[in-house]
Amino acid sequence: MSTLTNQPTIDTTRPAIPFGREVRVETRKMFDTRGGRWLFIITGLLIVLAMGLTLLVVALNDEVTITASGFSDVMTIPVSILVPIFAILTVSSEWSQRTHLTTFTLQPNRGRVVAAKFVSVTLLAVGTIVLAVALGAVGNVVYGLITDHDAVWNVSGKQLFWTVVLQLVFFWMAFALATLLLNTPATIAVFYVVALILPVMVYPVLSFIFEWARDLLPWVDFNYAAMPLISGENFFGEAVDVGPVEYVRFAFTIFLWVVVPGVLGYLRIQRTEVK
Amino acid sequence: MIEVRNLSKSYGDFRAVDDVSFVCQPGRVTGFLGPNGAGKSTAMRMITGLTRPSSGTATIGGVAYADIPNPAAQVGVLLDASAQHGGRTGREVLTIGARAMGLPAERVDEMLALVGLTPKESKRRVRNYSLGMRQRLGIAHALLGDPRVLILDEPVNGLDPAGIHWMRQLLREYANRGGTVMLSSHLLHEIQIIADDLIVIGHGRIVAMGTKDDLLRTAGSRVRARDNAALVRALEAAGLEASQASDAVTSTATPEQVGLAAAAAGVPLIELREADGAGLEAMFLQLTAEDQRDVIAPEGVQA
Repeated sequence: MSTLTNQPTIDTTRPAIPFGREVRVETRKMFDTRGGRWLFIITGLLIVLAMGLTLLVVALNDEVTITASGFSDVMTIPVSILVPIFAILTVSSEWSQRTHLTTFTLQPNRGRVVAAKFVSVTLLAVGTIVLAVALGAVGNVVYGLITDHDAVWNVSGKQLFWTVVLQLVFFWMAFALATLLLNTPATIAVFYVVALILPVMVYPVLSFIFEWARDLLPWVDFNYAAMPLISGENFFGEAVDVGPVEYVRFAFTIFLWVVVPGVLGYLRIQRTEVK
Repeated sequence: MIEVRNLSKSYGDFRAVDDVSFVCQPGRVTGFLGPNGAGKSTAMRMITGLTRPSSGTATIGGVAYADIPNPAAQVGVLLDASAQHGGRTGREVLTIGARAMGLPAERVDEMLALVGLTPKESKRRVRNYSLGMRQRLGIAHALLGDPRVLILDEPVNGLDPAGIHWMRQLLREYANRGGTVMLSSHLLHEIQIIADDLIVIGHGRIVAMGTKDDLLRTAGSRVRARDNAALVRALEAAGLEASQASDAVTSTATPEQVGLAAAAAGVPLIELREADGAGLEAMFLQLTAEDQRDVIAPEGVQA
């Protein structure tokens, strides 16, 4: 080993850690734990299962047809349900496993750590949704080959764009809630209640019973807010003239579920004492 | 060099660290000694920029930790060996560190070899590591970037006697090469083995500070006679301080003075030697006892 005496104790002229390196390290940390690896494997299995089941159904039933759009929808389900957990764990596991001691010693600038994780999560969201849509396209080709029906290519650029945007906002919501709560079980629970349970089990009932719910829901739920922008129809199948209000609503849902928890969470991470 | 000036941290009315100032010199191992809850970890977290001081400053080589570019490659830090993701392998923990610091992958193998973790052990998940193995992994992580300064919180905790000996060798060589080492412990005998300089902290304040040799230097004698009461009388007659403690007599006089006085009085001695570090040990015991008063309760009495 070299002698340490000749050099100054601390060299302030050394380069800082490049941001790209931080993003790569944070991405690696999402997959290098036992939990992360299994989550990744299960997501892969679900994608294969979704594709296999869909092809099996259309191959066995002549009267059932599917289009590229349908395939894309089927493939994005496993990706949008399970993969946001990565966006939660990248933040919350640092606190539950107390690895934040090491993380913030490697990079004392906590804002940079949060930024690197955010970029990493965003890349993961875009990467997985593109993969899911591409696999859907492959499924559609196979469908054309193994059935008597022709493959129907009806996915527009606009539809693809909105698929990616919705995937992103759900990932960002998961990430923002994690920074706010800094606790894995709590964040996962809140995320699934807001992203899955309320839209599937509560909102339809509310909007069926109460007139005001139909006006309110597009202000609180991503899907209700985005529907008119994607298809020109609202969630109840009625045609809508898309104007500024529709865009403001969607922006407001992002403000409500991404910006508010994200800003509060960022401040919490900056101020909280790491023990 | 680590320099801490008037460092304080308050939580409400509680002063965890209270106006602490000290310096850790290059080439020396500085032991930070205090009972659990004395403020050692809080002080170390402030030095490494994880906890904001209420007042005062802490610098390393003249720079605050957070202002050091790529700090972990210049200051090796181990704050809590248990604070690792249980689902990662030991090797992966080091790989992440090496990547973040921008070090070559070989560094991971070198450090594993240095701390004595076998390739097989390094592929096990940290969840299955003993505390001693986690300490070795933590030391490996701290040494990854070949830093000039080491800050280690309770690194010997959980190590077996062979491990403590190994740690002493490692830190001794490191300090001999000019490195600065600061390590904490709540056990006097541990730190006595490893450190050159001691900073003793209790209730957030420094209660003693100096070289180990100075602090442990005898301040008197320990002596035994067949008739201890007669010995006390003889010493007092000679104008020396003496007090009977269980089966021995302690005196602030030197062994020479005690021996001469006893011989003059014709009191035969069984044992006569320098009192070993009684001052520091007594002070430390008192500090520890204060914090543990509710633990040392009479048997059968439940809180």
